Amino acid sequence: MPRIGVFICHCGENIGATVDCAAVAQAAGRLPGVVHAVDYKYMCSDPGQSLIKEAIREKRLTGVVVGACSPRMHEPTFRRACAEAGLNPFLCEMANLREHCSWVHEKGEVTTQKAIDLVRMLVEKVKRNRPLTPIRVPITKRALVLGGGIAGIQAALDIANAGHKVVLVERDPSIGGHMAQLSETFPTLDCSQCILTPRMVEVAQHPNITLYTYSELESLDGFIGNFRATIRKKARSVDESLCTGCGACIQKCAQKKIPSEFNAGLGRRTAIYVPFPQAVPNKPVIDRARCTYYKSGRCKLCEKACPTKAIRFDQEDELVTIDVGAVVVATGYDVKPTSFFPEYGYGEYKDVITGLQFERLASASGPTLGEIRRPSDNEVPKKIVFIACAGSRDPAKGIHYCSKICCMYTAKHAMLYSHKVHDGQAYVFYMDIRAGGKMYEEFVRRAVEEDHVRYVRGRVSRIYQKDGKLIVKGVDTLLNSRPVEVEADLVVLATAMTAQPDAEELAQKLKVSYDGDKFLNEAHPKLRPVEMNTAGIFVAGACQAPKDIPETVAQASGAASKVAGMFSRDELSREPVVAVVNRQPPPVWSTCVGCFLCETACAYQAIEREEIRGRDGSLIRTIAKVNESVCQGCGTCVALCRSKSIDLQGYTNEQVYAELLAL
Amino acid sequence: MELLRDKAKSLLKSGAVQVVIGYAAGSATDRFRPHFARSADEADRLVFGDGCRQNLAVYLLKPEVRAMGKAAVVGGPTTLRTLLQYAVENQVSDGSAVALALEDGRVEELTSFAAVEEYLAQRPHGLSEEDRAELEQHAGRSREDRWAYWSGELARCIRCYACRAACPLCYCEQCITENNQPQWVPVASDAFGNLEWNVVRAMHLAGRCVNCGSCAAACPQNIRIDLLNQVLAQEAMTQFGAEAGYSVRKEYALSVFKPDDKETFIR
Repeated sequence: MPRIGVFICHCGENIGATVDCAAVAQAAGRLPGVVHAVDYKYMCSDPGQSLIKEAIREKRLTGVVVGACSPRMHEPTFRRACAEAGLNPFLCEMANLREHCSWVHEKGEVTTQKAIDLVRMLVEKVKRNRPLTPIRVPITKRALVLGGGIAGIQAALDIANAGHKVVLVERDPSIGGHMAQLSETFPTLDCSQCILTPRMVEVAQHPNITLYTYSELESLDGFIGNFRATIRKKARSVDESLCTGCGACIQKCAQKKIPSEFNAGLGRRTAIYVPFPQAVPNKPVIDRARCTYYKSGRCKLCEKACPTKAIRFDQEDELVTIDVGAVVVATGYDVKPTSFFPEYGYGEYKDVITGLQFERLASASGPTLGEIRRPSDNEVPKKIVFIACAGSRDPAKGIHYCSKICCMYTAKHAMLYSHKVHDGQAYVFYMDIRAGGKMYEEFVRRAVEEDHVRYVRGRVSRIYQKDGKLIVKGVDTLLNSRPVEVEADLVVLATAMTAQPDAEELAQKLKVSYDGDKFLNEAHPKLRPVEMNTAGIFVAGACQAPKDIPETVAQASGAASKVAGMFSRDELSREPVVAVVNRQPPPVWSTCVGCFLCETACAYQAIEREEIRGRDGSLIRTIAKVNESVCQGCGTCVALCRSKSIDLQGYTNEQVYAELLAL
Repeated sequence: MELLRDKAKSLLKSGAVQVVIGYAAGSATDRFRPHFARSADEADRLVFGDGCRQNLAVYLLKPEVRAMGKAAVVGGPTTLRTLLQYAVENQVSDGSAVALALEDGRVEELTSFAAVEEYLAQRPHGLSEEDRAELEQHAGRSREDRWAYWSGELARCIRCYACRAACPLCYCEQCITENNQPQWVPVASDAFGNLEWNVVRAMHLAGRCVNCGSCAAACPQNIRIDLLNQVLAQEAMTQFGAEAGYSVRKEYALSVFKPDDKETFIR
């Protein structure tokens, strides 16, 4: 006979003010099988938990129902309390009297009645609960970091320095990401490459880090602690073990006018190239879409020039499979191109550029060697206009969010311009200045007060070309909305930061969630900012939301410490809420008929085939078997199985049915 | 007829199969019954005619038939489709059964799934004109009318489960109706339980049914339960492009998700 204890929590006023808790406890006490029922102000408090523990010992309870808040809140608390009193924790269930009842209904008879109904359902369920034991899963202590920008670099270094193996995958020929493209960084104006390249070199030299550049994630299977990643190493067309990075091939290349991605289209590169001088690794790749040989079948100048015979025209993509225990996603962001803005010339005006292009102009390693010269005629612009919020915070453009970094980098740009062009004038059109951060507001004030940047609060409606000038028509909302017109030589748009174009595809590969803007979702916006909803996958940097370098680095270190924390244990323990295929005595063996339609339905590849063999080794039948360490307990197979041969532990058909019948 | 018998005899004689599942004369001139020919003499009793409608593939999975050895099964396109659907559902392995496809008095021996696929590929897919017209006629009626029709029809069901026995794809060893922990479907023959049983069966066959019509033919109450299956088969076709039993590589429409699946049913 079941001996069930029911514990009704008032949750202070949360439940107590709406539900008559004493009446619920009384009614519960009359349910068949219930031998103990009490109510208490705070069941989760120490004295509250003691009530449960004492009752388990004194009344020899075989099951516990706590009528309180959501199991998401306190199920672990109460299950632990039960375990301490010697009751299997999976014999404890929670009836959600707060979110499902008191919070959503008015005080009254009916509300109390509903609370009683909820308790009755759980009492019926718990009578059918079976003791379960947590599943132990081994951990592969190797992390996969996707993306070799500053987020990925930081995460990889932190994990590697904690003593664990890391595989860093970057799809471009070099690591470095967007940060390598920046000139100076706010609010200190230290050179971006100067602070980044030592980290890049450290990655390349670190004994715990395996670096795959020019590579992409092909697929990810498995689960926390036991992922299997397949990585596509795209053909570089260069044998990395032979190449010394001398650059002879680059000098000889016949294609010299390919827009350089690293210089945001402002500079030119060859078909065989390293993206920038400090690239890691400093080994070129052949851009097969642009290479003369791949287009026409003739050329091979690079091959002739190479002193170590490292060119491999017939190299093929290689697929590498790696077992990893955790994944850090740090795939970064993209920026809207100027062609996104019809009102600013559809990207057709050469002297309307993006912030990222301005970074290249201001950078000493850029196409103008750090001099601010406009793309159209290489002249030094005397009047320059910066437009903040180009696309950002503009629902009409489909971008509701703030790109967060533009206020700061626009101030930095205006400042750098003033430092380099002493007789020039910089204007900034802005909506609001958002300079929250250590030394950020001071930085913007410096641009205004010391560098005499003219800040105009208002938006720019249109830019058009006239007599070699760009006419910027805007409005100054602080001066009675007076129209403002500036004849500019160069216009810089702080275009919106967006998710990578293939972010959605990546999210689907990783089976992680993403928002309407295709930014990846963290598990909890406040309390779990570096974890994702899929266990074992972590997130860092701007693939999650627009953020600046300090924030990105902080999040990357956070993700790395989560991974290191996970790797500090030898095995993981997880809830035994997994599907099981029933087994019966011979000659039935199992009601599973082995149609394996569940195999394709399982999103986690948890269904395996089990051969039942007789004593002489002859095959009796093949039935489905659930790999309990892979199963996530979603129940899809349970719903699909026609003969109801699969059941979900902890939520069996029998239990759920009993719950419903009790209603 | 002679062709069929000769073919059966040669298969049995050569040892290619140990049993030929076909039809023999029944209790009246227009009635036929399944016949399991294991010798030349028994093969001489094989017949084939218009009334031979039962899908004999259903016997392939029976332990008694499996115990006889390798089987050849006689039938038309729906029997062949059943064979391929069995392959999709891991019930029959390639080369473990022979199909004797009958068409206009000719017999074709198909020994592999590939041969069956090829044979079916050359023949019309989907519902016949008559069946389609009948479905459209039903679909054209109002929701209330259809509800009244089906409530009335299913109320006549006596829960004999002849449909389940005749259906080649109802091969679960323990049917959901036999499950009483919990009791999913009430077993008594009442209007509600009948509705539940027939709807559950139709759903279990959605995307799997090969429209052989054996269920309706077996129904002693002459309820057209095959119409439910036809509607769902059409739905699977329009929603997911899934046609059961034309390929062994087909995935079960209800268990796979594809990014380009239409989701017009989500409103």
